[in-house]
Amino acid sequence: MKIVIAGAGEVGSHLARLLSNEEQDIYVIDKDKRRLAILDAQNLYVVNGKPTSFQAMKQVGMKDCDLFIAVTPYETENVVACSIAKSLGARKTVARIDNYEFYNPDNRQYFASFGVDDLIYPENLAAEEMLMALKHTWVRNWYELFNGELIVVGVKLRGNSDLVNKSLIESSSAQFMHICAIKRKHDILIPRGNAIVLEDDIVYIATKREYLDQVIEKCGKRKKVINKVLIMGGSRIAKRLVRMSEGRYKFMIIEIDPVRSEEIAETLDCNVVCGDGRNNDLLQEENIESYDAFVALTDSSETNILACLSAKEHGVKKTIAEVENLQFISEAETLNIGTIINKKLLASSTIFQTLLDSDESNAKCLALNDAEVTEMVVKEGSKISAAPVKDLKLPQEMTLAGLVRDGVGYLVQGNTHLQPGDHVVVFSLSGWIHKVEKWFN
Amino acid sequence: MKNRVWTLNFPMMAKVLGWILMMESCFMLVPFATSLYYGEYECAKAFFLTLTFSAALGALMTFCLHPFKTSMRTREGLMITGLVWVLMSLLGCIPFLLTGALTSFPDAFFEMMSGFTTTGASVIRDVEVMPRGLLIWRSLTQWIGGMGIILFTLAVVPMLNHSGGLSLFNAEVTGITHDKLRPRVSQTAKSLWMVYIVLTIVLFVLLCFSPMEIFDALCCTLSTTSTGGFSTKNASVMYWNSTYINLVLTLFMFICGVNFALLYKFAKGDYKSLLSNDTLKWYFWFMAICSIMVGGMFFANKGDTTDTALHTGIQGFFQVISAATSSGFSAVDYEAHGSLVMSVLLLVMVFGSCAGSTAGGVKIDRMVLMMKCIANEIYHVLHPNSIEIIRLNGKSVSSESFNKTAAFLSIYMLIIVVCTLFYAAFGVPAFDSLFVSVSMISNIGLGCGVTGINGSFADLSSACKLVGAFEMLIGRLELFTIIVLFTRGFWKK
Repeated sequence: MKIVIAGAGEVGSHLARLLSNEEQDIYVIDKDKRRLAILDAQNLYVVNGKPTSFQAMKQVGMKDCDLFIAVTPYETENVVACSIAKSLGARKTVARIDNYEFYNPDNRQYFASFGVDDLIYPENLAAEEMLMALKHTWVRNWYELFNGELIVVGVKLRGNSDLVNKSLIESSSAQFMHICAIKRKHDILIPRGNAIVLEDDIVYIATKREYLDQVIEKCGKRKKVINKVLIMGGSRIAKRLVRMSEGRYKFMIIEIDPVRSEEIAETLDCNVVCGDGRNNDLLQEENIESYDAFVALTDSSETNILACLSAKEHGVKKTIAEVENLQFISEAETLNIGTIINKKLLASSTIFQTLLDSDESNAKCLALNDAEVTEMVVKEGSKISAAPVKDLKLPQEMTLAGLVRDGVGYLVQGNTHLQPGDHVVVFSLSGWIHKVEKWFN
Repeated sequence: MKNRVWTLNFPMMAKVLGWILMMESCFMLVPFATSLYYGEYECAKAFFLTLTFSAALGALMTFCLHPFKTSMRTREGLMITGLVWVLMSLLGCIPFLLTGALTSFPDAFFEMMSGFTTTGASVIRDVEVMPRGLLIWRSLTQWIGGMGIILFTLAVVPMLNHSGGLSLFNAEVTGITHDKLRPRVSQTAKSLWMVYIVLTIVLFVLLCFSPMEIFDALCCTLSTTSTGGFSTKNASVMYWNSTYINLVLTLFMFICGVNFALLYKFAKGDYKSLLSNDTLKWYFWFMAICSIMVGGMFFANKGDTTDTALHTGIQGFFQVISAATSSGFSAVDYEAHGSLVMSVLLLVMVFGSCAGSTAGGVKIDRMVLMMKCIANEIYHVLHPNSIEIIRLNGKSVSSESFNKTAAFLSIYMLIIVVCTLFYAAFGVPAFDSLFVSVSMISNIGLGCGVTGINGSFADLSSACKLVGAFEMLIGRLELFTIIVLFTRGFWKK
C-alpha cells in the first residue's frame, strides 16, 4: 500500500516508522531537511517540500496513493494538503485537526466535499481515553468491543493478586478471562499456558462484562468511584476533557500561565487556580488529599510523571499522566502511575483503523507502545478458519483474545473453531498487523 | 530472561551471511554448467565441491540460527558488508586452488578480490589455456560485484526489508549520498538490478554480432557492464582489434559509469533529471576532453600503421573511458605512447566516473563538489561577507557532506601513498608503484611497467598481492565501511 505522510513532526515520524515496519510503502513530505535526514535512515522515502506543495506531491505521485495522512501542527494546512492530494488522485485522505468544530459530525459533509475523508483529533481521543480511565480506575487500559460484549483490559498486578507467581494453567481462570499478553519491564510477551505471571507485570486480559467482578477480584483490585479531579496544566486536552465529561466530575485546573488561566476560567465550567502544580505548598493549600484523581497534562512529560508520583504520595488514588515522549512510556509504566496518555499512540491507532478499514473489514484498532489490539473479521476461506485454534500453529507474535459471533461475545480457547463472519480480537506485537491480516483474508 | 549482551548482533549477522553464501553457491551453478558443457570435468568437480560446501555452510548459518533479536544497526551493516566481500572472495578462490589453475593462496585471493571488486587485475599470465569454467567464473564474479552482492541479496531476501537492510545498502552502494528510488529498500535494489540486467542483455546481443565467439562475448559482456575488465584473451580487447567491438564497449562502459538511479529514472521517462544532472555533464565533458587528448596522442604516434584515423580515435576514447570507469580493458599498448598519456590515464583513474554506478575511483561527484568549493573559496576572498550555497544537481549540499568528501579525499590520497611506499619497498619501480596503487584502490586493473601490458601482476610478491587485494576492497566499499572496522570505537561497548 502506498501511504504518503505530510509532516514529519512527532506524530508523523512515529506513524512513518510504524507503518514502514508494517511493510507499507511510505513517503514522507516535510519542509524541514533535518527532520527528514533522521527519518531517511528508515526504510522509507522522504521528499523535501511544503506539505501543501503541488510539486512535492507530484514528485511522490498521487495517482497510486492509497492513503494520504496530513499531520503537520497546523490544522488548516492539513486540510488544504488533503484537499490537494485528493484532487491529484489520492484514494483516501486523513487530516489531523485540533478543534472540535471541525470534528463535529454535522460539519463532516463540508470537509468531505473538498476531499478530506477522515479527521483525526488526538486531543479528543486523549480525552475519551482519560474518561474511560476515570470510569474504570482499576485498569491501565480499557478497550471495549460491541458495546462491551468483549472487553480487553490492561492491569498492573500487585503482590495481593491471585494470579501472581502462578502459571496461567494453575490460576484456573480460563472460564472467565484470557490473559493475552504480559508486559514485564520493557518487553511485551505473548504467554503460553505454562507462562508464570510475576508481581509488577502488566497483564492484558480479555473478558466479558458479566465476568468483570471476578476478574477484579482475581487481580486483587477494588473499584473506586471518582468525584473530584485535579488537573495540572490547562492544555487543549484538559479543556477537551472538561467539556466531554459533561459535569460528571468536579474539576479543578492548576495552570501556570495567568493569561491562559483567565481564559480557561472564562470558557470552562470549573475551578481554576493560577500557579505551579509542582509546588507542594500550593497543592496542600488546595487540599490535594481530598481529590480522587490527579491528571497531569503539561507540555513536559517529565513534569507530568514526577507530579503524578508526588500526587500519589499525597494520597490521590488515581493518577493519569500525559507522556508525549515515547521513550519514557515504558519507563513510566514501571512506575506507580495509573494511566499514561500519549497522543501519538492514539493517533496511530486511528490511522491503523483507517488502514484496515480500506480493506472493508470495518476493523478497530488500539495501539499500545509496542503492541496492537485489532478487531478483525474472519473472511470466507481464510487460513484462520481452517481448523480449531490449537491446530493452527499461529505465530508466537500474535494471540486471539476473544470473538463475537452473532452479537454474543466468547473467549477464545484451544478448541474454538472460528467461523467466517466472526469478529475476533487479536493481540499482536508491533509490526505484525499486516501478517495478522493475512491470516484473516 | 537475562540475555548475554553483545556489542554486535552476531547471530543475526551470521544469518544474513548465510543467505549471501547460498546466493553465491547459486551463482556457481553457472561455471559448473559451463564446465560440464565444455567437458572440463576436473573443473566441474571443483565447482561442484565448492558450491555444495558454500550452500551447506550457508544453509547451516541461516536455518539453524534463531537470533533473539532481529534488529540490525549501522554497525552490523558495516561489519556484514566487509565480511561478505572477504568471505565471497575466499570461497571464490577454492575452484582455482582445487583445479590447480593457481597454486598459491595469495594469487587466488588476489584474483578473486580483483574479480568481486571489479578491478580486473589478473595474476594469470596465460588466460587462453584456462578452463572455460574458470574463465566464466572470473567474469561472473565481476558481474556480481559490479552492482553488489548485498544489493542483490536485498532484492531477493524479504527478511532484510527493514531499516537494518537499509544500513547494508548504505554500506555497499557508492556515492556521497544514497538516493532511494522507491520507499522500500528491496524495491530500490530490485530497480537497480533490473537496469543492470537489461544493460547486460542488450550488450550481449550487440556483441553477438561482432567477430567474437559467443563464449567470449558472454564473458566480455559480464565484465563490461560491471566495468570489471577481466578478459578471456591475453591481449585483452586488442586481440580482436575491431572498430565495432571498441565502439560498442566504449559506449557501454560509458553508460555503466553513469549513476544507475539516473538510468532508472530515464527508463521511467524522467528525462529531465538525467539532462539536468551536473555530475553527468561534468562526466561527459571530462571524458570527452581527456579522450580527445589521448586519441590525439595515439594519432600523432600512429606512424605508418594501416589503421584508419577513426579506429585510432576510438582507441583513444576506449582507453580513457576504460580507465575512468574502472574497467581496465586495454585496446592498445598505451604504455608505448609516452608519459602524457600515462598521466592523463592516472588522472582519470583517480576521479573515475559517477557515483552509484558500477565504476570505482573517487567519483566525479566528489570532484565536482570539491571544484565548486574551491571556486567558492576563491570568490570568498574577494567578497568576504558573501554567503555561498554549493549546489549539486540542483540541491544544496550540506557542509557535513562536504566535510565527508574532504575526509574521503584525504584518506584516499593517504592510502595511495602508503601503499605506493609498500610496493616500492618490495622492489617495484616508483612510477609503477604509484600506478598500481591508484589502479588497485580505484578498482581499475590497468598496470604499468612491471605490471603493465608486457608484465603481469603475477610478478608482484605475495605480500604485495595481499595488500593489493585489501586496497581493492577498501576502494570498492568507499573507504569508510572498511576503515571503521579497524577503529577501537567500533568494538567498544
